[in-house]
Amino acid sequence: MHISIREFATSDWGRFQRSRLALAGVGVILLFMLLAAFAPYIVTDPTQIEMRREQDGQTLRPPFPPSRLNLFGTDQLGRDIFARVVYGLRTSLIVGILVRGISMVAGVLLGLISGFFPRYVDDLIMRITDIMLAFPVILLAMTVTAVLGPGLVTVCVALALVAWPDVARLVRGQALSIRGQTYVEAARCVGAGSWRILLRHVLPNCMGPIIVAFSMGIPGAIMYEAGLSFFGFGIQPPTPSLGSIISDGRGYITVAPWYPGFPGLVLTILVLSVNLVGDGLIDVMNPRAASGMQYNRSAT
Amino acid sequence: MLGYSVRRLIQIVPILIGLVTVLFALLNILPGDPARMMAGPFADPDVVKTIREEMGFNRPLWVQYLDNLGNLARGEFGRSYQSRRPILQDLIEVFPKTIQLAIAAEVASALIGVWLGVIAAARRNGWADRLIMTIAALNLSFPLFWLALMLQIAFAVSLRLLPPSGYGIGFDRFIILPAFTLALPSLGLLARITRAALLEVMAEDYIRTARAKGLRNALVMRRHMLPNALIPIVSTIGADFVRLLGGIPIIEVIFAWPGIGKYAYDALVFRDLPALQASVVVLAVSVSLVNLAVDLLYAYINPRIRYV
Repeated sequence: MHISIREFATSDWGRFQRSRLALAGVGVILLFMLLAAFAPYIVTDPTQIEMRREQDGQTLRPPFPPSRLNLFGTDQLGRDIFARVVYGLRTSLIVGILVRGISMVAGVLLGLISGFFPRYVDDLIMRITDIMLAFPVILLAMTVTAVLGPGLVTVCVALALVAWPDVARLVRGQALSIRGQTYVEAARCVGAGSWRILLRHVLPNCMGPIIVAFSMGIPGAIMYEAGLSFFGFGIQPPTPSLGSIISDGRGYITVAPWYPGFPGLVLTILVLSVNLVGDGLIDVMNPRAASGMQYNRSAT
Repeated sequence: MLGYSVRRLIQIVPILIGLVTVLFALLNILPGDPARMMAGPFADPDVVKTIREEMGFNRPLWVQYLDNLGNLARGEFGRSYQSRRPILQDLIEVFPKTIQLAIAAEVASALIGVWLGVIAAARRNGWADRLIMTIAALNLSFPLFWLALMLQIAFAVSLRLLPPSGYGIGFDRFIILPAFTLALPSLGLLARITRAALLEVMAEDYIRTARAKGLRNALVMRRHMLPNALIPIVSTIGADFVRLLGGIPIIEVIFAWPGIGKYAYDALVFRDLPALQASVVVLAVSVSLVNLAVDLLYAYINPRIRYV
């Protein structure tokens, strides 16, 4: 999908504004990615404990409020929250991209098969998606992590497991509409096999919705990871996760509002940026669709 | 229409069997022995053994599975491992509270969301529009559990206006915070959908006609634009209600709201299979019913759609 600068400029004001927002979103995401990638060179050690601090002749006990020393303050053990948030961003980004990647590959493959192969295969796959979609998402993800044991890998597996049916549905619909096209018939006439048609003709023609679904699904994955970790079903300490930092900070809400506050703020900004990029992508891929696009089932 | 509804309801049955099967499989892989959980950490091994035999945990898995399915088919949910009470009794107590919370949240988000959407569409590209759309995008990006915490700080801890958590009878002050937290993301989505739907209608010829004959703007909006923009709005409210039911466990746990989401969460923590599966079944059936209701409402709003 190639869009030239001129096409951007000639679109109406609203779209231009929107694409500017999307660019801002891209900027924030890139910044967060850089922070996460070079975390050890940017922030102090997130496990560094500091149980007392001398200041103006007084001995202070953590949690310390935000200062030049600790941008976001510290937690009850004197650990720097900014450092923990940066490492938590690492977890969020990895989970978001990994989960969405896995669920997209699974969903696209099953959706293509469902939309193109004989009826009984289609029925089988669609009934499985019905069952998965009937589950309350957060409960299913919690059950799966409870079964597999908490940790980064199991969280990714659990979240990919709950996310693929949406993708499969979407891609199946696209595949169904494309399979009746003349060029598919033409390909079949010259002797192309089913898989070749699927991968070379059907898949490239559903790329637009697939790219949009990829970007729109990332916020959900990030939020569910944070939600799972918040409830103790997700990433386990010492690996920092934004959700578990917020959960730890719950008990200090009154004495140290910065403790749960800043991690959540960063999480919100991250999710907002990805959402803005998704909106921009929708506008570019399908200019006729007006603003309010459906967000994926982001329930957390 | 009746035949259509009945067929839709019958279609839920295989889905429920699938749900129960998946849950049964998952919970039986779960480490932890329910008999030991029931007996407590310091129980005598003999007691644990008695409980195991009484509850039938010593039978082969497939017997337990079929027995479980048979019970469910007869409408018997069994007894909770945790409360030792019949689950049906627990659910009758717990489910109405969830419905109460969900409806309060959806009504709030529908009223405020559509209203904001109308304002945004009427003042398209003005500062009000931009402000509303910014708030809408922001609302959709808040992590629900964090939003809940922040609202608790603001309204319960700092301002002392509302109770931080818990449950009171009826539409009490207790419901305001959880319902509002649940409503915020939905409200953003609805404002966006309403605005988009109205802008689409705005381009129609009959709107120009209505304006040309000198109708006031408010009247054009109320009589010509809103009714024609209603279909996407109603379908979004329906889809949103389903989304809301998905987010409800989180809110109920944080606000200590004794609904079915908290019940299911406690059941999961306690490895209480019968209670967990009963709540999942009830939630899944309610989601299907909401979906059916939305489809029927669709046909009512848009006479061009007819189900056979």
